[in-house]
Amino acid sequence: MTLSNLQIRAAVVVSGLSLGFSVLAVRLVQLHVLRHEELRAEVARVHGQVVHRQGRRGDIRDCRGNLLANSLSTHIVTADPQVAAPQAVTIAQQLAPLLGMSESELVLKLTRGGRYVRLKPKVDIETAQKIRALKLKGIGFEDQFARSYPTGVLAAHVVGFVNAEHHGVQGIEAAMDDYLQGHAGYEVIERDRKGREIRAWRTEGISPRDGYHVVLTIDQVIQHIAETELDKAMAAHRPRGGVIIVTRPKTGEILAMSSRPTFDLNRPGNCSPDARRNRCISDVAEPGSTFKIAVVAGALNEGVVSLDDRFDCENGAFVYAGRVLHDAHPYGVLSVIEILFHSSNIGASKVALRMGAPRVYKYVRSFGFGRKTGVALPGEVSGIAHPLSKWTKLSITRIPMGHEIAVTPLQMLMAMNAVGNGGRLMRPLMVKEVLDGDGAPVAQYRPQAVAQVIQPRASILMTSALRKVVEPGGTAPKAAVKGYDVAGKTGTAQKIENGQYVNRYYSSFIGYLPAGDPEISILVSLDDPTVGGYYGGTVAGPVFREVAEKVAQYLGIPPQQLEPEAASIS
Amino acid sequence: MLQRNRKRASLHTGVIARSLLACLYVAAVGVGFIWYKNQIHRLGDEIRKHEATLAAMEKRNAMLAAQLAQLKSPAYLEARCREYGLELAAPRAGQMVRVVEPTAAWEAQLVRTIWSERSAAGAQRNLMVQQ
Repeated sequence: MTLSNLQIRAAVVVSGLSLGFSVLAVRLVQLHVLRHEELRAEVARVHGQVVHRQGRRGDIRDCRGNLLANSLSTHIVTADPQVAAPQAVTIAQQLAPLLGMSESELVLKLTRGGRYVRLKPKVDIETAQKIRALKLKGIGFEDQFARSYPTGVLAAHVVGFVNAEHHGVQGIEAAMDDYLQGHAGYEVIERDRKGREIRAWRTEGISPRDGYHVVLTIDQVIQHIAETELDKAMAAHRPRGGVIIVTRPKTGEILAMSSRPTFDLNRPGNCSPDARRNRCISDVAEPGSTFKIAVVAGALNEGVVSLDDRFDCENGAFVYAGRVLHDAHPYGVLSVIEILFHSSNIGASKVALRMGAPRVYKYVRSFGFGRKTGVALPGEVSGIAHPLSKWTKLSITRIPMGHEIAVTPLQMLMAMNAVGNGGRLMRPLMVKEVLDGDGAPVAQYRPQAVAQVIQPRASILMTSALRKVVEPGGTAPKAAVKGYDVAGKTGTAQKIENGQYVNRYYSSFIGYLPAGDPEISILVSLDDPTVGGYYGGTVAGPVFREVAEKVAQYLGIPPQQLEPEAASIS
Repeated sequence: MLQRNRKRASLHTGVIARSLLACLYVAAVGVGFIWYKNQIHRLGDEIRKHEATLAAMEKRNAMLAAQLAQLKSPAYLEARCREYGLELAAPRAGQMVRVVEPTAAWEAQLVRTIWSERSAAGAQRNLMVQQ
């Protein structure tokens, strides 16, 4: 049997094809099976990339949603000196005006060698776009978030700031860091020859999660009022420092918290550490006469005294335990109301003596002195309230006038709030809620009562006595707000330096309005005023009036007494 | 012989037709696969572009929010008011007139006053007419 030509040709073609396919099959097996791992790794190395993406840090907003802090996307402009060096001068000429750097500085960086150099961090998006448009060789960009504080110095001590790693180091930024912090994610991507991501080949990844937004109880308008008035007081009286706190007594919400000296949140490094200290919560001082409210309220609550009970104020010099206690002015016999009205140290001491040390101590602790208020800010101190066992024989006459005890301004204001708020001590509330990116609440903070320190009846009696303080003849007539029913107490505490009392003072006034149903309470305290007097009523009282009047108008708190002309018009 | 040749010719036509169909099928599947893959890539590319646009808009939004917050801040507004000499400020207590909500007793008093004024005017008119 002989094969025909056709059959031979067919056999050759089939053999050739079989051989070809066999070679291909062998090669495929070699590439896809035998060298699979090696080649896969090579491809991943060349085209693949793990991209880490940082979540944006959450915003801080005031109670009306106004932005106090947010994170802006910026860029770090980088360079590859090996590529950029040959045209360093040209590149420097084009970049210098955009980056706000000198040409010589840029040339130095572009010619220093290596493959990577940072030219400038925190370059905004628009500038980066302009640089991109120049299409400069060897110039690159890295994403970076920069924290921005649009309101600058406003509420600087409350908002706080972040460090270079974007972690909060002070204020709400630090206290709520866990909520604010964004969480990083990653993506495994592949790029084409032009370096663009091939989206369809994105294999795995975890999306970054932006941080939550924190909404404060602070109102930026009230904060501005407080800060403006505090600045005026600083200019007028030249104290070393000062604080103003505005709260809602019924809920404990802090509407404004200002401290001087202060600093710009966008440049926290450009000030002394002293300016960064929030004096409202981290400074302790003897409160002076404002502390009388705690002792007298306690005495009224215990039924030890009534407002009409009278005490001999010894004409300004009371000898007790071998030491003489003085009043600023000599007084004879005063009722309890008059003791508060004239701020008599001797009268307050005699009220405390009638109560007895254990009960005085009980109220000192009940009003929250000697322990932290629990405000959501870092750096709060407890103050000093010595245990009863450490009291000397003199303590019972000194503590009622605000000596031998050290408190923070916030503690003192919360105690005053308890007096005005039917005796309920509230926990100060600084954070209202935490929201996610869609505005849905993640956490909400409600007003929290700490204790019922005194009964409502005692609170009413105290309020009626404290109303007198701002009346003509009281210690703070300048704190009276026209049309409003105000209750308050002055404080003029001598400072201690090197263990001795010196002729320097903390001047303060704490008050609330409307006295019968308080909507706001305000503390004003100036540390060592050197111009225009030093009495609390003279120095802090007018500041209180200015703040109270403006805040009452802003919040629409109706006045209690209409002016005659207004009444007649109506 | 002729019949056998006719049979072979019809066999060839059938085989060729089937082969062509098979080739067409394979080609169609191949082209479809490539088209499908191309669509995936185009879609992926579009998603990537949209993602980039969204990210850019979010960045811009954050920047504008910060700018707006700064423009709305009380300190800035106050400074601008001063700059333009607008003398805008919250009214002081003495600059405000507060109107009391009328009570029922007050309204009754008003009605009585109006009636008494009208009756007095009427009486005077009558007196003038009589004169």
